[in-house]
Amino acid sequence: MRFEFFIAARYLRAKRRQAVVGVITAISVIGVAAGVASLIIALAITNGMRRDLQERLVGSTSHVDLMKIAGDGIRDWRPLLERLRKVPHVVAAAPGLYGQVLISHGARSGGGLIKGVIPRDEKTVGDLLQSVKQGSAAELEPFDSTSGSAAMHAVPPIVIGQDMAETIGVKIGDGVLVTSPQGALTPFGVVPRYQKFQVVGIFKSGFYQYDSSYAFTRLKDAQSLFSEPDLISVISFKVDDLYHADRVGRVIEAEAGKGFQTTNWMEQNRELFRALKLEQIVTFIVLALIVCVAALNILIALTMMVMEKTRDIAVLMSFGVRAEQVRRIFLLQGFLISVIGTVLGLILGYGLSWVGGHYPFPLDAAIYSIDHLPFAPRIWDGVIVAAVSLGVSLIATLYPSGSAAKVLPAEALRYE
Amino acid sequence: MIDPNEGDVRFENEGSLEPLPVVRERTVVMRAVGLTKIYSTVSGKAGSGAAALELFRGLDLKVHAGEMVAIVGESGAGKSSLLHLLAALDVPTAGEVWCGESRLSGLTPKQAADFRNRDVGYVWQFHYLLPEFTAAENVAMPLLARGMERAAALEKAAYWLGQVGLADRTANRSGELSGGEQQRVSLARALVTEPKILLADEPTGDLDGKTADAVFGLIQRLHEAHGLTSVLVTHNLEFAERCNRVLKLREGRLVDARTSPTEAGRV
Ligand SMILES: Nc1ncnc2c1ncn2[C@@H]1O[C@H](COP(=O)(O)OP(=O)(O)OP(=O)(O)O)[C@@H](O)[C@H]1O
Ligand SMILES: [Mg+2]
Repeated sequence: MRFEFFIAARYLRAKRRQAVVGVITAISVIGVAAGVASLIIALAITNGMRRDLQERLVGSTSHVDLMKIAGDGIRDWRPLLERLRKVPHVVAAAPGLYGQVLISHGARSGGGLIKGVIPRDEKTVGDLLQSVKQGSAAELEPFDSTSGSAAMHAVPPIVIGQDMAETIGVKIGDGVLVTSPQGALTPFGVVPRYQKFQVVGIFKSGFYQYDSSYAFTRLKDAQSLFSEPDLISVISFKVDDLYHADRVGRVIEAEAGKGFQTTNWMEQNRELFRALKLEQIVTFIVLALIVCVAALNILIALTMMVMEKTRDIAVLMSFGVRAEQVRRIFLLQGFLISVIGTVLGLILGYGLSWVGGHYPFPLDAAIYSIDHLPFAPRIWDGVIVAAVSLGVSLIATLYPSGSAAKVLPAEALRYE
Repeated sequence: MIDPNEGDVRFENEGSLEPLPVVRERTVVMRAVGLTKIYSTVSGKAGSGAAALELFRGLDLKVHAGEMVAIVGESGAGKSSLLHLLAALDVPTAGEVWCGESRLSGLTPKQAADFRNRDVGYVWQFHYLLPEFTAAENVAMPLLARGMERAAALEKAAYWLGQVGLADRTANRSGELSGGEQQRVSLARALVTEPKILLADEPTGDLDGKTADAVFGLIQRLHEAHGLTSVLVTHNLEFAERCNRVLKLREGRLVDARTSPTEAGRV
């Protein structure tokens, strides 16, 4: 192998009889480097985006939600809540009452999900109430479950998402009519219940899913809207390690007893993360094409080199260099080209990612919902990219090195 | 016959030498028996029957240890083809080549390569030095190929470059050498493995008269000093006459040009 390396390395460095081969070799190295660098950078960005999105998403919502399997709501929830707060790895818990509603303002209306909360608790498990951009969530505060003091408002307050507010055309201070399909049973059949609320805050989380359909009100008001005295539908939790949400969820389930189930943020956003993963794979494949083009360059460079060196190959064989050794000489040459290109590409890719991480590249926050390009380079990406680059290049060297090994010395040295 | 202390061949010492005496020692180094080589030349019309070119049929050759055999013959007679067969660079259509105890046509490609590396030194009309490497590296190449340590190989190469009178040109690339020097380097490369047989195909064919003389003189001196066994193809009758034997390749046969009266003067 030492002999093969000696020849291959010298061939690579030496001046060419045909300048073209040298140029194509240089282009191959640059091509591999460019492909590898763009893969590293693109993966760092998609990774950063994903991490960014995940952080904001997970910040907005709870990590684990506990519900009844039957969906009939949790009665007598205060002792249960206290008990579950003590489960290891649980850092916060908050009760909530969800319900599907229609929110209307004049002639315009939109369907949504109203959540009755205790704001003090809710803020410990989700950021949505902290992202109020107009008005204030503090208007929900005066509610005090222990003193039972009634609201100062004659009309109960509500905080809604910005997209919802735009859909139905409301501003702070406007009144909205919230209608629940879970109506009361009357002699005339099931009559939908409705209640007037006053918009005290509009939040914007950046997630359309929340901004277009979520609304918050005080737990008491939600209970009275749904005519469910002292019932909640969910207990939301924050845990200390969000990647262990599923495990903590199972512990909570077991602690809560029969008839309960949990979901976690990963399950709830599975589609989103699957789409992100798919996007990342597609990006990878598209950029891997650059590497393939570079590998094609290697193929061309090596094929031309073999043609240029046919006579020298024959000479080597004439004094006993084996066909296998000749094959390895050219395999090594292709490998050297691709190793040099890959190493350069890794340095360039991680270098630029580092620069991008330390000197943020500004973005228009109004369009991209983040104000800079996030870079999150991972070591593992580099390993995969390097493996792909070296593997593809190796495939590209198979043909030229094979044809070098097939040179017939008696033919190649006959006429000259 | 060989005095190892006399190995320091002085290239400058030119001047024509007397013909070498016919070697008495009968150890056969290389033997060709019933060699036949037929090229099925590609004729444009398929189906018109393969137009075959028969170079030789039933050719026999024995080369004894210490002998220097000249092969002459018209252009296209098949001299180069014969040397290729002797070096296991090509396979005969029929017949066998033996080198010592090994039958060349029985070798696997790998064994044939090892045979060329160990037992054969080959010199062409053209020097065929690898331009990317220095003279010493070129000479060391057959040793490096068999896995010898670089330092040891280069030391041997330096010795053989000294033997061909180029001790001071070890670090030069082939492009920096004259035609005669290039051919001497290629001779050193052929001899560095101390092969059983040296095969030279018109080794002076590309050189001008004076340089050709010098190179042939060198081959002759090395032959004596190192007790080589060689087969040389040449068009130069004067050079051929300086060998132990002169064989002429004619109509697919090798005939002794000296003993066969009909051939004398027709070489
Ligand atoms: N692979 C081949 N296929 C067909 N014909 C070939 C092949 N190789 C050689 N020949 C033919 O065989 C004949 C002998 O060639 P060779 O090179 O052995 O002759 P030579 O005696 O060395 O001639 P020269 O003195 O010109 O070097 C030539 O006519 C050549 O065209
Ligand atoms: Mg010839």
